[in-house]
Amino acid sequence: MRLRHSLGLFAALAASLPVAALAADSIKIGFPIPLSGPTAVYGKPVLAGAEMAVKEINEKGGVLGRKIELLSRDSKASADEAVRLARELIIKDSVDFLAGTLTSAEAPAVSTVAKENKIVFVAPTSKSTILTDEKHIHPYIFRIASNTDVEGLAGATLMARWKDVKTVATIAPDYAYGRDSIAGFIEALKKLRPDISIVDSQWPKLGEADFTPFITAQMSKKADAVYCSLFAGDFVTFSKEATPLGYFKAINNRLIDGAEIGTPDEAQALGSDYPYGVIGDAYDPVIWSGAEPPEHKKFIEDLKKFTNAQYASGWSIVGYQSIVALAEGIKKAGNTKSPDVAKALLGLSFDTPVGKRSFSAKSHETFAPEYWGVMVKDPNYPFAVIKNPEMLPASFPSN
Amino acid sequence: MPASFLFSQFMGGLTTAMFLFLIASGLSLVFGVMRVINFAHGSFYMIGAYLAWQMVHWLHPGGASFWAAAIFAAVGVALLGAAVERLFFRSLYGREELYQLLFTYALVLILGDAAKFLWGTGQLSVSTPPVLAGSVQIFGTTQPLYNLFVMAIGPAIAFGGWLVLNRTGIGRMVRAAQMDREMLDALGANVGTIYTGMFVFSAFLAGLSGALVTPIQSIVPGMDVLIIVQAFIVVVIGGMGSFWGTFWGSVIYGEVLSFGILIFPGFSLFSVFALMAVILIVRPWGLFGKPLR
Amino acid sequence: MSWNRTALVQRIPWTLIVFLAACTVPWIGSRYNTFLGEQIAIDALFAVSLNLLLGTTGLVSFGHVAYFGVGAYVCGILMKTYELPFAVAFPAAGLGTALFALVSGYFCVRLIKLYFAMLTLAFSQIVWAIAYKWNDVTGGDQGLPEIPFPDLDWMSSIPGLGDLRINDQFYLLALALIAVSLAVLHRIVRSPFGRILTTIRDNPERAAFIGINVRAYQLAAFVVAGTFAGFAGALYGIFSRGVFADYVFWSKSAEVMIMTILGGMDFFWGPAVGALALVWLNQQITAYTEYWPFFLGTILLVLLFVFPGGILGGIAAGYGFLRRRLQSRPLQPRDA
Repeated sequence: MRLRHSLGLFAALAASLPVAALAADSIKIGFPIPLSGPTAVYGKPVLAGAEMAVKEINEKGGVLGRKIELLSRDSKASADEAVRLARELIIKDSVDFLAGTLTSAEAPAVSTVAKENKIVFVAPTSKSTILTDEKHIHPYIFRIASNTDVEGLAGATLMARWKDVKTVATIAPDYAYGRDSIAGFIEALKKLRPDISIVDSQWPKLGEADFTPFITAQMSKKADAVYCSLFAGDFVTFSKEATPLGYFKAINNRLIDGAEIGTPDEAQALGSDYPYGVIGDAYDPVIWSGAEPPEHKKFIEDLKKFTNAQYASGWSIVGYQSIVALAEGIKKAGNTKSPDVAKALLGLSFDTPVGKRSFSAKSHETFAPEYWGVMVKDPNYPFAVIKNPEMLPASFPSN
Repeated sequence: MPASFLFSQFMGGLTTAMFLFLIASGLSLVFGVMRVINFAHGSFYMIGAYLAWQMVHWLHPGGASFWAAAIFAAVGVALLGAAVERLFFRSLYGREELYQLLFTYALVLILGDAAKFLWGTGQLSVSTPPVLAGSVQIFGTTQPLYNLFVMAIGPAIAFGGWLVLNRTGIGRMVRAAQMDREMLDALGANVGTIYTGMFVFSAFLAGLSGALVTPIQSIVPGMDVLIIVQAFIVVVIGGMGSFWGTFWGSVIYGEVLSFGILIFPGFSLFSVFALMAVILIVRPWGLFGKPLR
Repeated sequence: MSWNRTALVQRIPWTLIVFLAACTVPWIGSRYNTFLGEQIAIDALFAVSLNLLLGTTGLVSFGHVAYFGVGAYVCGILMKTYELPFAVAFPAAGLGTALFALVSGYFCVRLIKLYFAMLTLAFSQIVWAIAYKWNDVTGGDQGLPEIPFPDLDWMSSIPGLGDLRINDQFYLLALALIAVSLAVLHRIVRSPFGRILTTIRDNPERAAFIGINVRAYQLAAFVVAGTFAGFAGALYGIFSRGVFADYVFWSKSAEVMIMTILGGMDFFWGPAVGALALVWLNQQITAYTEYWPFFLGTILLVLLFVFPGGILGGIAAGYGFLRRRLQSRPLQPRDA
């Protein structure tokens, strides 16, 4: 009897407590992102972009009169850790929304948490198609980056321009993103240039320490050109090992990489060792030779100041966009309830420093084109820059 | 398939092998003498890479500064090793291996975060020293000079190590310490000094290998944990504690990987873990080691 | 008086009190308290199972996470892919893990000391590799998200439990299963079998001399420890709503080892205390800094050099010290 009494009392207490605790006035966004390990290279600048967006929005008075608060946590690029943090952010910190994650292992896993808890989740960088394909889509998941099909189409479009290329080899990290990106590229290339055959595919593991045997094995197939999805430290190691082996020379520098090797981040790491002449891409070319939009110029200036860096990162833009998109969604919905915001985000267009973006109502993606171009030496910078960045693909497959 | 490509693939495997040997030799040495599995060896290697980058950055990028940086890194890591051994490690010698394992793991955690704190999370890179930047043609294949240099360093270290262990008084004492610590103690030899020396030399090798990979690899946080497991595999294949065993273990690892990916393009390195387990089951002392008592 | 007091302290059914207190969390705490409580309980079972090897038998396994992972994957795959009920999947996870522990343990216990540690590490890396690569079954690096909750409708029909969220109901179920598992483990450690394991730990040669089949006993301990780690893994997969390859990475083995010695290897409940302490510390520290590994490493250093007996070892030493102090002053009026 007594036990039941006290239980009842506890229950009453428990019911009254959380409501009071929730009445904080800021809008909380949970942001799991790798801040340690090899992918922190990009986790940090993505987070910096998001933080800058929060700062700008708050300086203008916030959203619906409320400030935004960003709660970042180190996901260690692990799906397991990202899921744990996402759940913790929801139930401990009572976040209103989730954004963040970097890899295509983390984002789909966090997406299931968002689905179960009915919390809007905006993924800035994950490109793997499974994040938003028919089997995995749900009302609360949104993606800023392009997907691997869009990336593959852009890569194939460029590849198809080389009329004399008849054989292509591929090299990509052996995990979800790498596999999807090569599949996307091959599918698009078959449509554009059925005459090209794929003669070799290498799958080094993510974080491979020594690419030499992969490089020599690939060279033995004598392909005319290469499509590559190596990124970050892997691309640095790969190209430093490939150059002296004569890899780039053998293909006349006809290598296309769709994994953001056109960013200053990557170019700075390689410095003068960059394999000039290859084609790279970037979410944001940062150093924009040609007609630079004024919004972009301002964004980069602000970012440099915000991160206290000599050159801005090409990855911050997606973190920035993820917060801007959420803020616009909240504004449109008129409240911070996830179901309403999720509806508001469907088909929503928002302005970003690299142009207008809008979420497809069907697949919740922006199909963001990226900026592609030949990586060249520039006397004004101690590292390679994209020459005349071109937005590709210019139009999207009906989706 | 033309012979030149087989040669090229063989050389590719050998490059992998010699880089791994540089790292694994120190690990094997500490195991052989002190019976300790040093998880922090990968961290020493990482710190070596960062120190080399720092030195090149302070001097001027490119040029001969690389060699100074490599020595600086190796000596710096050796000093770190000395401090670790003197301050902490020696009081664990009498304790169960569990405490020693966990101590080296604590070092992994602390040094990893220290590197992150000092050098950030960005990817860093060092250019190949100009002398070795080119390549030469051998049997119709292009061989980078730097890779050839590393292929020469590996056997040189193996041979030097073997020479010291087998032909000098210090080596005799080290081998005696390996077999029976108490006996050597009783005979009045200074086992403590031998242990310190071995640990410092092993750290020196780790720092040197970390510095030597910088021209061909990016320096990123987490490279410590990525490399240590591979180094373990190599040491286990060759035989823990055996210097030449580690050398041949590296060669087997490098060539299996190299021809594996040439013959089966989807070849996965994970079969190497299975090889490691099989060797531990069938011949726990490795292909070239001697059974432990 | 002091004797009486000791007896009194010992007579209090602490475990029952802790269990009952843990059961009230869904009512008195927040969702987050339940979340933490469940994580601590699962980690506690995992660490206590490891301690059967580490503390009781003296086997340094550096790959205990393999069994946790196998349990998680077996249970997760059966429940998600084959849509089997929890009542089938959970025992199957234990059975599958036991079989795997039997096979891998057979090879491991033939090795001594560091070789044993290395082989357990190798096996755990093989499990990790399979989990990471076998896309069709394990989901590869993207894991198996969305493991369904067990069907807990029967629980809803129990008065007082019907209003609870499914997470809370599963928490109670997990807590009950963990309590039973811990009770079984406790019985095993205190049984003649457990005493033989301790004998083997203290002196394997002597144990062999008095006719004990050392390897057979070590293998039995290995299988039991693996099985309970498998149960912990199965619960963890459902609790964290997915099974991922990172569960099985070798550094997780180190983490559970740290829990074990943090609490105290010499005590049955030590690892459970360690799990509680480590989860709590992680919460406190990660809220302020991203340098958690640094703190974890420092905690480990302090443990190794200052408190090798862990938290319970420290308390026991302090308690013994106090008691000696009290007893060494016979002039002190005890019953005053």
